[in-house]
Amino acid sequence: MKALLIAESREGKVLGSCSELVAFAQKAGSDSVMFMVGTDSNLPAYDGTIYLADAAKYGEYNPAVHKQLILDVVTKEKPDMIVFSHSSYGWDLAPRVAFALEAAQFSEVADIVDGDPVVPACNSKLRRRLKAKSTVKVLTLQAGAFSLAEPITASPNVEKIDTDTAGKVTFLGYEEAPKGGVDLGKAAIIVSAGRGVGGKDNIPMVAALAKALGGEYGASRPVVDAEWVEHARQVGTTGQTVSPKLYVACGISGAIQHLAGMKKSEFIVAINTDKDAPIGEVADVLVVADVKQFLPALTERLQAG
Amino acid sequence: MNFDLTEEQKLIKDMVREFAENEIAPSASERDEEERFDRGLMFDKLGELGLTGIVFPEEYGGAGADYISYAIAVEELSRVCASTGVTLSAHLSLGSNPIYLFGTETQKQKFLTPMAKGEKMGAFGLTEPAAGSDAGGTKTTARREGDSWILNGTKIFITNAGEAEIYVVMARTDKDAQKHHGISAFIVEKGTPGFSFGKKEKKMGIRSSPTMELVFENCQIPADNMLGKEGEGFKVAMKTLDGGRIGIAAQALGIAQGALEAAVNYAKERKQFDNPIASFQGIMFQLADMACMVESARLLVYQAAYKASNGQSYTQASAMAKLVASETAMKVSTQAVQVLGGYGYTREFPVERMMRDAKITEIYEGTSEIQRLVIGTNLTR
Amino acid sequence: MKILVCIKQVPDMESRFKVDSAGTWYDTTELVWRMNEYDEYGVEQAVQLKEQTGGDLTVLCIGPDRVKETMKKALAMGCDRGAHVNDPDYATRDPFEIGAIIAEYASDKGFDVIFTGMQSQDRGSAQVGVLVSELLGIPAVTTIVDFVLEGSTVNVKRELEGGIKAKVSVTLPALFTCQLGLNTPRYPTLPNIMKAKKKELLSIPVQDLLKVAFRLETVSMQLPEKKGGGLVLEGDAGELADKLITILKEKTGVLAK
Repeated sequence: MKALLIAESREGKVLGSCSELVAFAQKAGSDSVMFMVGTDSNLPAYDGTIYLADAAKYGEYNPAVHKQLILDVVTKEKPDMIVFSHSSYGWDLAPRVAFALEAAQFSEVADIVDGDPVVPACNSKLRRRLKAKSTVKVLTLQAGAFSLAEPITASPNVEKIDTDTAGKVTFLGYEEAPKGGVDLGKAAIIVSAGRGVGGKDNIPMVAALAKALGGEYGASRPVVDAEWVEHARQVGTTGQTVSPKLYVACGISGAIQHLAGMKKSEFIVAINTDKDAPIGEVADVLVVADVKQFLPALTERLQAG
Repeated sequence: MNFDLTEEQKLIKDMVREFAENEIAPSASERDEEERFDRGLMFDKLGELGLTGIVFPEEYGGAGADYISYAIAVEELSRVCASTGVTLSAHLSLGSNPIYLFGTETQKQKFLTPMAKGEKMGAFGLTEPAAGSDAGGTKTTARREGDSWILNGTKIFITNAGEAEIYVVMARTDKDAQKHHGISAFIVEKGTPGFSFGKKEKKMGIRSSPTMELVFENCQIPADNMLGKEGEGFKVAMKTLDGGRIGIAAQALGIAQGALEAAVNYAKERKQFDNPIASFQGIMFQLADMACMVESARLLVYQAAYKASNGQSYTQASAMAKLVASETAMKVSTQAVQVLGGYGYTREFPVERMMRDAKITEIYEGTSEIQRLVIGTNLTR
Repeated sequence: MKILVCIKQVPDMESRFKVDSAGTWYDTTELVWRMNEYDEYGVEQAVQLKEQTGGDLTVLCIGPDRVKETMKKALAMGCDRGAHVNDPDYATRDPFEIGAIIAEYASDKGFDVIFTGMQSQDRGSAQVGVLVSELLGIPAVTTIVDFVLEGSTVNVKRELEGGIKAKVSVTLPALFTCQLGLNTPRYPTLPNIMKAKKKELLSIPVQDLLKVAFRLETVSMQLPEKKGGGLVLEGDAGELADKLITILKEKTGVLAK
């Protein structure tokens, strides 16, 4: 079995999701080759051949051309699977490749069970096991569903590729995310402060953890009422209702009005000195510790990377 | 017999629910707390959606929908904010409808059309210090002077007062006539010299809806502003209140529905003795009773609205709907507070507001006692 | 300008889902149905474009009779006519079949712009829009959060991970898949709800449009494993932090990048 792994590069940098593609191939017990539109000065760690098309020449978003480049590699390598990340790049390109190859596409694969891909349905409230009618299959992988036990250190063997296909759209460049303004509803990671953080002076500790995780910080109602944190960041019945991928509740006991605002989060970590705090009922992990000691320790390790 | 909503009614229900949840609900408790009316949100936006003239024909700027659609709209608004519900009900049933029913073509063009479009807001001036449930006791007077009427007197407890541009006001035009016969209805515009507003009431509930006094001191209005015939005022008032009862019944229904949902959601979340309290029969049975009451009220409200839309007499039906729905709102919201326990008694949850809001539905536009009187009189005459 | 917007009727995602007796889809009884959230942005953008250009706007939906209710909402929001592809078995169709049905419908109509949602809330495959564009041989730009028409050129922004946007320009005809936040979908007003009743809503049997075979089938559908009682970690702060990082790496996607 052979997989063609489609790595992504943005603004000249390889995206970290690339290692998930490799982890998937390992889990599937498949050989692999890689493809990327990027630059040879920034390559993914990979033990194998990477087909590299020059991003400066073809643009980082140019679906018709990227599709043709991939199809050329498919002709040469004859993979059984073409594997993308389920990302704005992957879900845009994968159906185009699948269509050209008359292949079935599995979207947002979260797992492989008895050889069949498993994908989520209805906001992950259900899971579906799928089978393809085609021999060649196209997959997009759910972010974070597959990860490597050991990081790769090898450098790939680069084969440069070209095409003379013309694009159908014009990529004009990027617009950076605006600074300031809080929309917790859109944050993938939220670290929230409760009364258990001890005082206004400890809020920066919560904000620092949020930053280290790449998320936003929020707060429970008592903290907002005490004016330790502005109202825009309040989570709960009288604040915002959120459902991030990760919610870290720091010193929040778990009053029902707070739980109502965050219990739909995908993964919940609670940090509390009280082992029996009601937040434990919804938490995936309850860390029994004092926020003031635990938070700096965690932030430091995350920053060390 | 068919209990299904029509396609339009379903669309209207979905639309108003979505609007109410997204736009009205977020500020409901804050507006209650601050006793603040928000015209842009609670009236102008309803106008943009076409709710302010929902039952009136398109030729007068309305949407041409039926009374069931109207009841659904008031119900859905009141489910999240009873103050917004009564704003619409008072504007449409009390302020606009008498002009639609009794107005001349000129009056309809001049007053009803902008009201239906949501450009002008309506209110209704009947109650006085000495004339509450007894409309015949009206003391405000109107005296003819050439091409004008001169109004003197005070109206109290007027919903939408101060904010509304157009008021339908009852005044006595014949002091010597028998109680009910000497009253006439008038259209008075805000800004007319001699027309001012008295004190703003501080209320137990519907605190985001303004309630004020109307004060008339030698207020001169054109003779053309008489609504209906001279001496017909009592009839105008009674017909208006028949329609108004559907609005208030729908408001009460909405409050009850909101309270029921809050109680059910809470009972499923809240754990005691390691189990959701909803799993305890004591709570479950209470919720079952609440749901039955709400559904009974809904059937009566929709039935009254159906009759109103189909040209049938609906005095009896609207009185029954108003009586049952308002008492349901009171009982269900009180029980909802009980289900939520200590949390229910705090302002963190909306049920205490619903309980305060529910009380007025047993009082205004005919107290429960008056509804029983109407129903009983009809039964035994 | 001729505009097509494709919508799907999906269950309210707050519903409690059960697996059906065949074990391959969710049980559809006792669900509350609504318009796929992504498609609401598509309808809004289509209506805005229609208003801007004085164009003609068709809304298409595949499914059983009940989907007409959702189509009425689109008509009340401002679409001119509805094309209902009557298909009681729509839930078993794979994205390729759905894409092929839409492309077959659109093939002889000369649409200048086609909008779809970026994905459906129930199936979430994010394939249909792109497949339609490939079948019709027109360009597609996915996941748009901004849309501006100038002449026959459309400038859009695609939403990428981390809040960055890619600016892309494309010449019509083209297809766009809409991301949440593209615009503010309007509420259908009362007068427009009343008018929607009179708009044309054509029903087309799916057999007339479905000319391909499926490529993907559902073997089974399950509820995910229940969250057990959460894991309780106790000990020294430093050790706890190490343990938690390991767990986050294993169980969530947030630290992998």
